[in-house]
Amino acid sequence: MPINLSPILDRWQFLAYGLWTTLVVSSLAISLGFGLGLFIGLLRTYYGRWLDVPCGFFVDTMRSIPVLVILIWAYFGIPLITGISWSTTTAGIVGLGCHLSAYVAEVIRAGLTSIRPGQFRAGLTLGMSPFQIVRTIIVPQAAIRMLPPLGSLVIITVKDSAIAAVIAVPELMRQSQIIAQWTFRPFEVYTVAMIVYFLICFPLARGIDRLYRRLAPLGSS
Amino acid sequence: MNLDWSVVWDHRRQFLDGALMTILLTVVTMSLALPGGLLLALLRLSPLRPVRLCATAFVEFFRATPLILQIYWAFYVLPATFDIRLPDFATGVIGLSLNVSAFNSETFRAGIISVRQGQTNAGLALGLSKTQVFIYIILPQAIMRVLPALANTWVSLFKDTSLVSTIAIAELSYVSLQIRARTFRFLEMLTAMAAIYWIMGYPQAKLADWIHRRFKVQE
Repeated sequence: MPINLSPILDRWQFLAYGLWTTLVVSSLAISLGFGLGLFIGLLRTYYGRWLDVPCGFFVDTMRSIPVLVILIWAYFGIPLITGISWSTTTAGIVGLGCHLSAYVAEVIRAGLTSIRPGQFRAGLTLGMSPFQIVRTIIVPQAAIRMLPPLGSLVIITVKDSAIAAVIAVPELMRQSQIIAQWTFRPFEVYTVAMIVYFLICFPLARGIDRLYRRLAPLGSS
Repeated sequence: MNLDWSVVWDHRRQFLDGALMTILLTVVTMSLALPGGLLLALLRLSPLRPVRLCATAFVEFFRATPLILQIYWAFYVLPATFDIRLPDFATGVIGLSLNVSAFNSETFRAGIISVRQGQTNAGLALGLSKTQVFIYIILPQAIMRVLPALANTWVSLFKDTSLVSTIAIAELSYVSLQIRARTFRFLEMLTAMAAIYWIMGYPQAKLADWIHRRFKVQE
């Protein structure tokens, strides 16, 4: 079977743009997901039941519906309901970010509640305010414990950004589909795309592992 | 905006078939990926270095690339380049099972490693063979410990079956999008699709949470 890389080499800019979009969509979705997730996680951990119920409903809904469906909703459904129309890329970022935020919120909540309540009480007896205790005692320890699950969520989001090809976000997967259709060389195009994804995700995973191994002793209490 | 929900009810048979296909895909994939994952985990713990390296490369590769791309690869590259023609359903199940096997193998490996060395030594001292030690002592404990992680993988798999809609397998998302395209009832179909996934996925997510609480490894 002759391998012919010219379809890719001739159109490398088209694919490079896809790679760039993948990186932009992933990082913006990660920022949105982590911001929103942190907010929801804190609300669910430290505020009363009346906020826990709607936040819990949002989180569990995002956890029980496929990303594909969320993305299709973000691109086709939201504009139909609200009348706001947005680009596929924005819809992709919002969809991926909302999906991610539910998982981040769960990790944050589990991490914060894993710090023994005695530490909170100890802080109170020392005259610290609850905000001070959370900021200076709980979060630094919990953050290290949360690192491995949050790290895998980052990688999952980079991989999930490929699903945004379904709503035609011009990221690496989508650009590869287009070139594969033009050139009838699916083997070369999809294999190269796979290698590129691997080269992003694998070092990222190893990097997070190493970071955690260096920081892990600081997180034990 | 006028909504016409009767169109959802009119297509209840198609939705039901789609939902059943989603469940079938999940069950078939998981029943292949559990033994597959265990086998890969054992290969990764093998004393032979080449075996270990191959298994590790396989697992890391499938874990570090998008599932949708793997499914595309199986669907477009296998027939075009290698002349392997499989029914769509088989292609989808193969793509999903290879991916989930890789994830399961990491879960099993972690579970097997977590059982202390002393237990293997104790078993060997009692005159059990290595295989007996693994089957009667290590594996039962490892499985109990990895149940929560397996439950999570199950829920992810259930949702990820939606990705095979891109290769025209008539599961829930594909069916919903097809009806949407035929009837132009966009919002009704999108709502029905999300609602059916929710009805099926929500109890599974809650069950996974319960398994987490029930089988959590105590510190």
